[in-house]
Amino acid sequence: MRKNGVNMIKISAKNVDVFYGKKQALFNINLDIEENQVTALIGPSGCGKSTFLRCLNRMNDVIDICKVQGEIVINDFNINDKGCDVVRLREKIGMVFQKPNPFPKTLYENISYGPTIHGMAQSKQEMDEIVETSLKKAALWEEVKDRLHEPGTGLSGGQQQRLCIARAISVQPEVILMDEPCSALDPIATAQIEELIDELKKEHTIIIVTHSMAQAARVSQRTGFFHLGELIEHGSTDKIFKNPDNTKTQDYITGRFG
Amino acid sequence: MSEAPHTVKSYEEELKNLNSNIIKMGGFCEEALGKAIQAITTRNSDHAESVIKDDEKIDKFETLIEQQVVNLIALRQPMAIDLRETVTALKISSDLERIGDLAKNISKRTLLLNENLPKNLVDALVRVSSNVQKQLKSILDAYLDRSSSMAMNVWESDEKIDDLTNLCMQEVIKYLKENEKNLDDGTHLLFVTKNIERIGDHTTNVAEQVYYLVTGEYLEGDRPKGTEPIVTGEK
Amino acid sequence: MNKNKEKLLAKRYSSEKRFQFLGKSAIFMALLFLAIFIFKIFSTGYTAFQKTWLIVPVNFDAETMYLDANPSKEDLEEADYFEISLQSMFNLDKNANEKQQNELKKMVSYFFEREIKQELINDPSLLGKTKDVYITASDDLDQVFKGNYPRDLPENQRRVTDYQLKIFDQLVEQGKVESKFNLSFFTYPDSREAELAGIASSFMGSIFSILVCLAIAFPVAVLAAIYLEEFAPKNRFTDFIEVNINNLAAVPSIVFGLLGLGILLAVFQLPRSTPLVGGITLSLMTLPTIIIACRASLKAVPPSIREAALAMGASRMQTTMHHTVPLSMPGTLSGTIIGLAQALGETAPLILIGMVAFVNTIPGSPMDPAASLPVQIYIWAESAERGFVEKVSACIMVLLGFLIVMNLFAQIIRHKFEKKWS
Repeated sequence: MRKNGVNMIKISAKNVDVFYGKKQALFNINLDIEENQVTALIGPSGCGKSTFLRCLNRMNDVIDICKVQGEIVINDFNINDKGCDVVRLREKIGMVFQKPNPFPKTLYENISYGPTIHGMAQSKQEMDEIVETSLKKAALWEEVKDRLHEPGTGLSGGQQQRLCIARAISVQPEVILMDEPCSALDPIATAQIEELIDELKKEHTIIIVTHSMAQAARVSQRTGFFHLGELIEHGSTDKIFKNPDNTKTQDYITGRFG
Repeated sequence: MSEAPHTVKSYEEELKNLNSNIIKMGGFCEEALGKAIQAITTRNSDHAESVIKDDEKIDKFETLIEQQVVNLIALRQPMAIDLRETVTALKISSDLERIGDLAKNISKRTLLLNENLPKNLVDALVRVSSNVQKQLKSILDAYLDRSSSMAMNVWESDEKIDDLTNLCMQEVIKYLKENEKNLDDGTHLLFVTKNIERIGDHTTNVAEQVYYLVTGEYLEGDRPKGTEPIVTGEK
Repeated sequence: MNKNKEKLLAKRYSSEKRFQFLGKSAIFMALLFLAIFIFKIFSTGYTAFQKTWLIVPVNFDAETMYLDANPSKEDLEEADYFEISLQSMFNLDKNANEKQQNELKKMVSYFFEREIKQELINDPSLLGKTKDVYITASDDLDQVFKGNYPRDLPENQRRVTDYQLKIFDQLVEQGKVESKFNLSFFTYPDSREAELAGIASSFMGSIFSILVCLAIAFPVAVLAAIYLEEFAPKNRFTDFIEVNINNLAAVPSIVFGLLGLGILLAVFQLPRSTPLVGGITLSLMTLPTIIIACRASLKAVPPSIREAALAMGASRMQTTMHHTVPLSMPGTLSGTIIGLAQALGETAPLILIGMVAFVNTIPGSPMDPAASLPVQIYIWAESAERGFVEKVSACIMVLLGFLIVMNLFAQIIRHKFEKKWS
């Protein structure tokens, strides 16, 4: 979806501040996320990259003391508006977490849960289709098609994470947020997820938080570097990893920090 | 080098080591070129022989640097400035190796030259070579200091070397035309001149690498060229 | 330096050994006490599951019972069995004088007439014939037969006379005394006579109390726990409530009894001595236990599951009901069962609300007066008759069995339904 060779902006964060109680966690973040691109957020632990990610689907609402200020515009709509319905928002913006967290139910129920609560399937047959396509898109179908009614927790770590991705895409979200999706996986499983991310970006906009710079470099087209709650630098992944503008960014990605 | 040291000290050392190997190799090349020129001007075959012998050292350095670069890439996955440092080290080392080879070639030809060369020819040669030597020295300094402006200067003054080379060529051609007996020496001198010019080109390559290393950008546009050489049929 | 290090090392090892020794001896002590306790209960209690019967020939003489040759069922019901019953006892010693006849009569339970009647009603063809009938021996003879009765006491300090013992010994020699499984212990209600006393009324009373308690405490506690854990904002007020729930769990049970007495009986005028009131009182006591258990198991559900559901666009209610609560159920249920087991063993509040009354009927509903197992133990332990001693232990065994079954059930639920989340 290119317009005049420039990628469309899918999400636009303007002057976002986040507070945990009295402590400010994010300072004036301005970041545009391009459509059908993978944007990687990197930075040391506690820099606020996960916090920012969780602002995008308002998962920070769960934390009582967390306050988000500023505008986050998705499809010309500010999600921090009072009128924004969180349930609808999260249907549009899926999320995959650090640790694979399938529901302790069967594989089928794991995938069908989202479509069920959002009323996306009218019949059993439609649901079967959704489950199948979701699993296929998550490159898990071949491995699990014969045991859809076995518990999802019986899969290997990498399979569980792909199950979680399948679950996230079952409701056809426009954006998928990934919070260190490979940090608990072995290199092969990581490679499978990375390949999957590459596939998924054709239909979804993906934002991935990662601690592995090599991973950010491998999977993303855009990279943002967070440090101490500020967005230090963002730009094309090429640029960030070959020749960043900011010395802090350079020090971080070359391992010179602290 | 960037301000802060790496968290992993051994990585820092490896990079420093690579850096100092480039400097050392550069030093050897400088020395080889200096001796090769001296061998022509002072007609000292000892110098020429030592250049030929020492080329082996330079070659060894190239192999060493190549191994170090491969190791760094495989084991450390350098990023940003470190990545540029590693990659440019590889390219600079191969340019330096070529410079060493060319100096050796000059020395070989020197051994075959007549004892008495016309002074104007030697002067012309010295004019070119001293410029090239200056270039080589300053580009090595630029590398050491991570100075993009010095690298830019070197790159720009390649033009002057080309001009001087042409002048020198004309002198040699004139010398050739003077007498048929001059054919041997003249041909050798042509090649010597050309080799010195090639060394200048490699120096310019290094300047481009240094500029990229420091700024992360490529030197845009065509390399500055002097007037077209009038001698055709060159290699 | 090195020497010091070695010394230190030796010290460290020896202190570890010491600690292990102390730990092991603590466990040994605990097991020892438990073993003594169980041995005592079982050794005194197991005999209560046996009952001594005297086999007495009874002449079902129609004339003595004022029956004609072919009596109807009603006739059999209404016939006079007293005379033939007495007669069959007197027949044990044809030469007995009046005092001795009286003693002969007291060798069996006062139920003997009914036992003889039952025999004839079961088989009307016995009319006019003589048959050996099993008759419950008196509690004292029961104890004598079980060897629990000291024979060497002077006669005036015993409730069994020398004459009774003589006849009894004769019967034993003739093989006319038999010990059989004491079914009546489970099927009869309480009685003043130890040989006839059973736990049926208190057992049913306990069951009804527990059911009432479960019906009230479980839904209230689970709703309260879910609200507090999943929905309530975390502020001073909810902190205050939490502290109070924890305190409530530590309130002595007798206080709840007073509450039941003062409010349920005095204000609401609910029927006294009933499992209904008992159950309500116990539910007050169980409430905090279940709330705490339920909250703990809700807390144990990994936040990642909640996040997963929320991120799928489930509302808080859906997240709670579809994921968190089902996952917390095994823990909640086993906590509930343990709370109920606690309530089952509770005595003090029940005594206060009058469940200590002597009830010789088996309750059919929670509204009927009843006792409960622990209160039954208390009542019997207070009784003077020797026959009740073994009943107390037997009743404790039943109560313990009940508790063990409930705890086992709790364990099974926990193991069977506990899902493993990675």
